[in-house]
Amino acid sequence: MKKGLIAVLVAAVVFIGGFFWVKNAYNAMVVEDENVQAAWSQVENVYQRRADLIPNLVATVKGYAAHEAQTLENVIAARSKATQVTVDPADLSEEALAKFNAAQGELSNALGRLLMITENYPDLKANQQFSDLQAQLEGTENRITTERMKFNETAKKYNTLIRKFPDNIIASMFGFEKKGYFEAQAGAETAPKVEF
Amino acid sequence: MKGWKPMLAAVVLAVFSTVAAYGIPPRPEPQRLVNDLAGLFSPSQTQALESMLVEFDDSTSNQIAVITTLDLEGYDISEYATRIGLEWQVGSERFDNGVVIVVKPKTRDSGGKVFIAVGYGLEGAVPDAYAKRIIDREMIPQFMNEDYFGGISQACTTIMKLASGEISEPREEEEDPIWIFITMFIIIALVFIVIGVALENNGNGKGPGGRGPVIYTGPIITSGRNYGGFGGSSFGGGFGGGFGGFGGGSFGGGGAGGSW
Repeated sequence: MKKGLIAVLVAAVVFIGGFFWVKNAYNAMVVEDENVQAAWSQVENVYQRRADLIPNLVATVKGYAAHEAQTLENVIAARSKATQVTVDPADLSEEALAKFNAAQGELSNALGRLLMITENYPDLKANQQFSDLQAQLEGTENRITTERMKFNETAKKYNTLIRKFPDNIIASMFGFEKKGYFEAQAGAETAPKVEF
Repeated sequence: MKGWKPMLAAVVLAVFSTVAAYGIPPRPEPQRLVNDLAGLFSPSQTQALESMLVEFDDSTSNQIAVITTLDLEGYDISEYATRIGLEWQVGSERFDNGVVIVVKPKTRDSGGKVFIAVGYGLEGAVPDAYAKRIIDREMIPQFMNEDYFGGISQACTTIMKLASGEISEPREEEEDPIWIFITMFIIIALVFIVIGVALENNGNGKGPGGRGPVIYTGPIITSGRNYGGFGGSSFGGGFGGGFGGFGGGSFGGGGAGGSW
C-alpha cells in the first residue's frame, strides 16, 4: 500500500516537472519565433519602402533621360518581379529567404545601373527633387542593411534556442523549424553603392 | 611543422578581423554626448557643444550624440553611425529619439565623410532628404574650410529645431541630494511645528481655537520662501552640465551621409 503511494507520488512529481519543463521551453520558443517574425516584417517594410520609391524615381529620371528607356524598363520589370516574391512569415526557411534575396538583388542591380547612367545628366543631378529621391533611396538601402542585420541576429538567437539539447526535442516535437539567414551574396556585393 | 607560419598568419588574421568586426567604440564612461575622438575641437568648443546638447536633452528628451573619429574600423560610415546608435542606445526607449552625427575628417590620404543617423522616432521629423540637405548645405561647406565646430554646431541647431517640433518632452528633473535634504528638513520641521502646536494647545489647556495655527502659519510661509530662493540659485550652477545618460533608443538605418 505504502509502496504504491510512493510510486504514485514519484510519478506525479516526474509528470509535473516534465510538464513545466515542456511548458517553459515551448513558451520560450514561441516568444523567439514571434521576435523573428517581427524582425521579418521590418525587413519586408524596408524593401517595400524601396519599391514605393521607384515609380517616383523612374518618373523623375525619365523627364531628363528619356532615351535611356531600356534601363528604366529593366528597373520597372525587376521591381514588379521583386514585389511578387513574397515570403510567408510562418516559413522563413533558408530556401524561401534565398529566393526573396535573389529577386531583391536583381532589383538592386537594375537600380545600380540606373543610378550610374544618371551620372551623365548634370541637369538631372542638379534637380532638387532628384537629389531628395537619391537621399531617400540611399537611406532606404541603409535601412535594408540594418533590418537584415537585426533579422539575422534574431534568427540566430532563435536557432540557437531550438537546437540546444534537450530543448531540441521539444522543438522537433512541436515543429519549430530552423530559420534562414540573409547571406551577404547576390544583391549585397552589387547593391547600389549609392555614392553621390 | 612546416606549415606553422601560414597557420599563425591565419590565426592573426582571424583575430584582427574579429577586432575589426567589433571595432565600434564602446559607450563612453562617464557618458557624454560629444565624443571628439579625432581631436577636432578645442576644450572650450567641446564644452560649448556638450552643454548645448545636454540642455536640449533636458528640455526635449531628444539626444544628439556627436562622434568624430579618424578610423571607421572598416565600416561604411552609415553602418558605423547606426551601430553606435544601437549599441550606445542613443535616445529614449519610449520615443527612440536619438540622432548620431559621425564625422571623419579629411586627412592627407583619405577623404572626409559625414553621416547623420536618425533614430526610429525622429525619422518623421528629420527625413533622409532633410538630413542630406543639412549635410550638403551646412556641414560640408564649413568642413571644407576645416571649420568642423562651425559645421557641426550649425547642423545640431537645425536638427534641434526639426526634432523639437516632433518630440518635446522635458526630462523629469532628477532629485539633487541637496533638494532631498531640504525637503526632509522641511518635513521634519513641519512635524515639530505640528507637535509643538498640539503640545501648546494641550499644555495651556485652552480650547482648540484658531490661535495656534494662525501663529504658526508665519514660519511655514517663511520657510517656503527660503526654499524657493535657494532652489533658484543652486539649480543654475549645481547640475547644469551633467548629462543624464543614454536611454535605450533604437535605430533602423535612417539618415543621410555625404563626403568631400
